[in-house]
Amino acid sequence: MIKRGTKSAVATCCVACFLLIAVLSSCGRHNGGTGQAGSGGKAMDSTLVIAMLGDADYLNPVLGSTVTSGNIIGLVYPSLLQSEFDTTSGLLNYMALEKKLRDVTPGQAKKTPKGALAKRWTMSEDHKSITYILRSDAFWNDGQPVVSGDFKFSYKLYGNPVIASARQQYLAELVGADKGQVDFDKAIETPDDTTLVFRFYKPVPEHLALFHTSLTPLPAHQWKNVKPDEFRHSPINLTPLGAGPYHLKNWKQQQEIVLASSRKSNLPKPGTIPQIIFRVVPDYTVRLAQLQTGAVDVVENIKPEDFTALMRANKQIDVKTVGLRVYDYVGWSNIDQKEYRRSGRVRPHPLFGSARVRLALTQAIDREAIIDGYLKEYGVICNTDVSPSLKWAYNDRITPHAFDPAKATALLKAEGWLPGPDGILQKQGKKFSFVLYTNSGNARRNYASVIIQQNLRSVGIECKLEVEESNVFFENLQQRKLDAWMAGWSIGLEIDPLDVWGSDLKRSRFNFTGYQNPRLDQLCDLAKQKMDPTGARPYWLEYQEILHRDQPITFLYWMKETQGFSKRIEGEELNISGTFYNIDDWRLRPSANVAP
Amino acid sequence: MLSYIFKRFLIAIPLVFGVLTLTFFIIRLAPGDPAAFFIQPGISPNVAEQIRAQYGLNDPVPVQYVKWLAKVLQGDFGRSFSRAQQPVFDVIASALPITMTIALLTLVANFAFGILIGVISAIRQNTFLDRFLTVTALFFYSMPEFWFALMMIILFALKLPLFPASGLNEIGAEGFGPVEFILDRFWHLVLPVTVLSINGAAGIARYVRGSMLEVIRQDYIRTARAKGLPENIVIFRHALRNALLPVITLMGSSLPFIFSGALFIEVIFAFPGMGRVTVEAIFARDYPLIIANTFISGSLIVLGNLFADVLYAVADPRIKL
Repeated sequence: MIKRGTKSAVATCCVACFLLIAVLSSCGRHNGGTGQAGSGGKAMDSTLVIAMLGDADYLNPVLGSTVTSGNIIGLVYPSLLQSEFDTTSGLLNYMALEKKLRDVTPGQAKKTPKGALAKRWTMSEDHKSITYILRSDAFWNDGQPVVSGDFKFSYKLYGNPVIASARQQYLAELVGADKGQVDFDKAIETPDDTTLVFRFYKPVPEHLALFHTSLTPLPAHQWKNVKPDEFRHSPINLTPLGAGPYHLKNWKQQQEIVLASSRKSNLPKPGTIPQIIFRVVPDYTVRLAQLQTGAVDVVENIKPEDFTALMRANKQIDVKTVGLRVYDYVGWSNIDQKEYRRSGRVRPHPLFGSARVRLALTQAIDREAIIDGYLKEYGVICNTDVSPSLKWAYNDRITPHAFDPAKATALLKAEGWLPGPDGILQKQGKKFSFVLYTNSGNARRNYASVIIQQNLRSVGIECKLEVEESNVFFENLQQRKLDAWMAGWSIGLEIDPLDVWGSDLKRSRFNFTGYQNPRLDQLCDLAKQKMDPTGARPYWLEYQEILHRDQPITFLYWMKETQGFSKRIEGEELNISGTFYNIDDWRLRPSANVAP
Repeated sequence: MLSYIFKRFLIAIPLVFGVLTLTFFIIRLAPGDPAAFFIQPGISPNVAEQIRAQYGLNDPVPVQYVKWLAKVLQGDFGRSFSRAQQPVFDVIASALPITMTIALLTLVANFAFGILIGVISAIRQNTFLDRFLTVTALFFYSMPEFWFALMMIILFALKLPLFPASGLNEIGAEGFGPVEFILDRFWHLVLPVTVLSINGAAGIARYVRGSMLEVIRQDYIRTARAKGLPENIVIFRHALRNALLPVITLMGSSLPFIFSGALFIEVIFAFPGMGRVTVEAIFARDYPLIIANTFISGSLIVLGNLFADVLYAVADPRIKL
């Protein structure tokens, strides 16, 4: 009796367990979204799958700040202008339907201006206002027209401190911004639905005015009743209303974002691929495996060490690169950080205070060896923070400091650093010994740091390595607690380096080295005053010479970001402005090799 | 027993509360800044300040604590910093079903295989089978889960493409019928559940073997055999029931796992479960979400222990609560 009872109880438990699991499993199923009939195989044929590291934070242009958000917002929302990157000059070009900022070298222009909301623009003589004439045939997905009022409404949101948009910097030249508060009534005028006027408190170069006034608009009629303090958590954030080539079909948070081509869109046209899925796959190895099996079509930032195996394993995979936008460097404290933190006084750093010592350090580091060993053809020696891709400003007369331990030793000797009994250089009883910090989880920097350690040891410098969790590392960097570190920067397409090199250490938040050079400040200011960017070329050439001479940091290498692509994708154009630059024009070739 | 349970609950309240208070201070005193993401060139320095003001992080820590306490006492654990300011319990509610699915499947497999292997090892003590099972169990037990998971992916998703490497469902699964959908979901769960349960079962098997060996040497087992009972009744009715007492403790301590999730496995297999919520909350310094997670797992550890104690009394009539 007891036995039978126990058995049936166990059986009941098992059945209950199974049912519970089945119910739980299907919980996430009906999260909205109209299902697509058919098997996975059929779905794949009309679906592009992009693996991403993390989910979008917001699909709202005022708030979205992750890379994924940016990619999706670009496909869902309309934009005032279209931009294209001219690879021959390295200049960014802005286009309205009937006007271009500049003519791009023939053969380079690949982007159509048809997606622009603006028909044309006029910059005032004094460069203090810009007037856009908008097209009248642009509509949000719900059929309402896109009007100039949407822009004014959105700019107020961008500028609202309660909303804390990461793009409020774009409003920094509008009327009133110099007094701390943009005066929206004067700064943005909308005399009618198709006229939009921005007014600045100072003359602004045309390319900058275009850049700063082309923030993505939100539909005012959808958002007008949302209070600013509810903006960040409003449920409307989950159902974005756009007008671009794609619309949001389904968003399973932390899993996937499904976009479907907007059949009615005329900005510029419905997306060619019917459905694009952005899938969250946090683990790098799994992303690679999925690219290899064909479960996903695009994986960004593939490590060079994985290329050969990947392409050998699956002939249908190609690795593509974009321009040089990211570099790694070794940062040296130019000033005594302890003293600066304590008293605010600026004194040269006991080890790295002299430009000659920093030059010796650069010469002692074998940058070619790091590139050959890790990045291979995807790395280029870096001289300064002006990218070779920005050809209009790049100084190609600078020759990189060659790896030359003998010269480095001589320079160090001239600075008074002589070998001590243990082989480590000494000066007035102080050893040349320091800790080189870097952030955790970066295989490339780990690789480079070991080579740097060996290189420096061979000229008698003791370099200890320490890895810190990224958050901690960044905080220590900001608080000027590190003497030497390895990190990297991703540069903007407009050159604006004062944040990193400005002599006013309080204002230049990212001048972690404490480097100060009034001529550099002056050059940056002079360049900014030029109404045509190419006019600033001489200033940028001198700027690069100064950085090359002073070596405030050791610039290591530029990296070509490498993206893995399934060959069933056709028509893709990658360039420095992004991997998904023309994704609405991509096509999918149905292929037997694509796994269902 | 009821008054015992009631008393344990009363003790649990200050305990959980103490854990939360400790967590509150530890995460705030640890380096890192929830607004750090907004400190980068091209973003106005005001943004980080505005974000900190919104999150109430500009107040001194004791003031923040008092404000937090007032809210928590009303059941308001706040909104997540990193996940579009959703209420933290909404974030948890969306992650919980996924974690529970994996965890329940894993636990069932864990205990079923663990007990089976343990019993076989014990009754065949010192035979080749016992040694083989022991060595294999130790081999899997000492293998890091994340590495094992990656190896399984390479083997069963890449070299022999039998199972999917990540995700909960196939692309286009929304269009499947209910049975097909659930089968697809189970197909996606095979690899992660296998990884988790092989590792777990190996541990449980060791426990069961040990306690089983102790039990089968007892006098009452000899008596049972002496009165001519068949061997399987001796083992499964008389010996196993007594040998399972330590396993009950394990069951109790597995309860938090059902809700807290398997950190690495969820990241590797891209499951949006509690484990990933926790890891990402920690990296993003999402204080409210970290606290809410701590609350859930802290309460469950206390509950799990209580549950184990109650099960003791049920399994062994000599124990009186």
